[in-house]
Amino acid sequence: MAVHSIFIKAMVKFLLCLTLLFTGCSEKNAHDASVTGDVITLTYWPAPNPQEVQLADSIVRSWNRLHPNIQVKMQPIPVSQSTEEVLLAAIAGRTTPDVCSNIWPGALAEFTRLGGLIDLDRFADFDSAIISRTPADVVASLRDPNGHFYQMPWKTNPVMMFYNKRLFEVSGVTGVPRTYSEFYAAAKNVTRDTDGDGQTDVWMGERDIRPIWWQRWFDYYCFYIAASSGKTFFINGEPHLDQNASATVLEFFRTCYARDYFPHTFFQGGDPFLLERKATHFAGPYLIATLHSLAPSLRFGVVPIPVPDGHQGPVYTYGDYKNIAVFSTTKHPKEAWEFVKFLVQAKYDLMLLQIANQIPIRGDLLSNPIFAEYFKQNPLMIEFARQAVYTRSVDAAPDLKEIFDAISQEYEASAVYGKKSPMEATLAAQKRINVIVEWNK
Amino acid sequence: MKKMKLKYDRSAYLLVLPYIIFFLLFVAYPLIFSLVLIFHRWDIVTPMQWVGMKNFERLINDPLFFKSIVNTLIFLFIHIPLQIAVALGFALLLNSRIKFRSMFRTIYFLPVVVSGVVVTILWQQLYSFDSGLLNRLLMIFGIPKIPWIVSPEMAMPSVAIMATWKNVGIYIIMFLVGLQNISAELYESSNMDGASRVQQFFSITLPLLNPTIVVVLVLSTIGGFSLFIEPYVLTGGGPMQSTLSAVLYIYNQAFYFNHMGYAATLGFVFAIVIFAVIMIQKKTVESESLE
Repeated sequence: MAVHSIFIKAMVKFLLCLTLLFTGCSEKNAHDASVTGDVITLTYWPAPNPQEVQLADSIVRSWNRLHPNIQVKMQPIPVSQSTEEVLLAAIAGRTTPDVCSNIWPGALAEFTRLGGLIDLDRFADFDSAIISRTPADVVASLRDPNGHFYQMPWKTNPVMMFYNKRLFEVSGVTGVPRTYSEFYAAAKNVTRDTDGDGQTDVWMGERDIRPIWWQRWFDYYCFYIAASSGKTFFINGEPHLDQNASATVLEFFRTCYARDYFPHTFFQGGDPFLLERKATHFAGPYLIATLHSLAPSLRFGVVPIPVPDGHQGPVYTYGDYKNIAVFSTTKHPKEAWEFVKFLVQAKYDLMLLQIANQIPIRGDLLSNPIFAEYFKQNPLMIEFARQAVYTRSVDAAPDLKEIFDAISQEYEASAVYGKKSPMEATLAAQKRINVIVEWNK
Repeated sequence: MKKMKLKYDRSAYLLVLPYIIFFLLFVAYPLIFSLVLIFHRWDIVTPMQWVGMKNFERLINDPLFFKSIVNTLIFLFIHIPLQIAVALGFALLLNSRIKFRSMFRTIYFLPVVVSGVVVTILWQQLYSFDSGLLNRLLMIFGIPKIPWIVSPEMAMPSVAIMATWKNVGIYIIMFLVGLQNISAELYESSNMDGASRVQQFFSITLPLLNPTIVVVLVLSTIGGFSLFIEPYVLTGGGPMQSTLSAVLYIYNQAFYFNHMGYAATLGFVFAIVIFAVIMIQKKTVESESLE
């Protein structure tokens, strides 16, 4: 009986323990399930370069700390020939992230045509979020032809003219050229044969003479935007090339090549600006870090792109924009939008400057005290910050690559080889652009 | 008997099956697919879109396509006579009793087996305006530098010279075979009749080489129409699209701009052009043979 009683007690204790164990486990499971159910996970794709990955990592850590119920998973855009191809394939396969911060406005038409993005102006606070940060005319230039906004302006790399101070000084050039006439006058002195062998050794400038479509962003296109006071190739989705501005720019480069201020050949054996074989170079702010690291003794300055004589008003230029978009595959558009707003806060814009040397598209860069210390330490970046509000991107037009190819072919024919008059080349480019646009309708 | 025949047929079908599968997968399917593409817009990643005759409408308004066909014809116009003349000249030399004949034959054939890209990169260095070997040689003799590949006028002839250098070896071999098939007795008897070397060439060698010349002509034409690697690597189709061949333009539309449908349309029209040229060539050669 005693044995029986002990057995009964042992069995009861065992069952009790088992019950407690199961109860505990089930409670734990229930708790876990509720957490999983409450936590929203967003996927965010930044550009895959190390600086932007570092920046994204810092921002995402901050966000995740502050938003335990909306966790962001950062994953750099898969490396491929181009980000646009990756995103296009992801849209087609419906494997897009919730948010991406490497959206090139030129690819936007294709993304929206496929229904890959959501319009951001659906959110009640869109206007206040975008206008508080970005200049109104930049905002207007990013509006889709259908009237909606699919991108949050984030950063830009305004193309400006770098010049070699030493080459200007030894050539007797005192003022930095701001107009075409001043550029020619300086070029006449700067371009010369330094060792007396009958061959020119130093040029005023140099451009890749091959008709590579994106190369035009750093000559024809930034000069076109400057000469036309901020126009691009399209108005309300229809091609609208400013013929006078285009012909004026082609005439400028044609003169530079005809007078041999720019060479007709390729440089071999290194970057001619680094080697002090050309006095000017058109590039964005990222070049500053490169020059400081590769040629620490090089003395250089930065000014806006030269404009036609008699130009009035601010000097605009091309800025290589990269914006933020929310994809239509997201199940949490409101949360994704909150994360977008988080990304463009002033403190993260400061990090963008510090880590990636890229300019946030905001109007208060030079007035907001948060950026003051950075600009004090990086005075050359002030020029780019001033320029940033006067930048234009490419249009959100279909087949932009081929449109720039058309421009490149005509630039080569007219400016480099002088085989077509600037106006003939402009009209031929306009005609081909019309055919491309028409075919895409 | 019937059963045996059936068994025999079955094994025959089994034997040709690998080729049938290959043909269906790599010939018939791409051909039919490209015909379907002609009426679509397709960028590889997104779904195809029916556009009807829009690709043809664009083609009619595309000056670059017509320019690329003209460029290809210019290339053929330079390349084919040059190829035949050079190949025949070297074949005649190699057919004579010269020392190290086998070694020369090997040397002339070497470019044929070397990769086209390697050859083109080599010629890119030779043609370089400032530092190329050719211009350095010219400067030694006091001759001005030639803008081989940086001048729109010179670029296509430069491509044709390079293509001739690359392919001439194979045609030398063909002409050599042709020359060795000509009976030595014909030359001996003409010698006895007092014919000069030039007379022998025009009256014996050339007429008897006619079948070989026809083969070389047809092969050069087909090869010339598929001109791609040389301009792609050497000039990228420039300067001023002067070396943009039709195949290079079709390639650019397909893989540079991702216009698969439009590229298929261009390919379709270009195939008709090739067919027409080959037919004209065939008729001309046939009528000359009859004469």
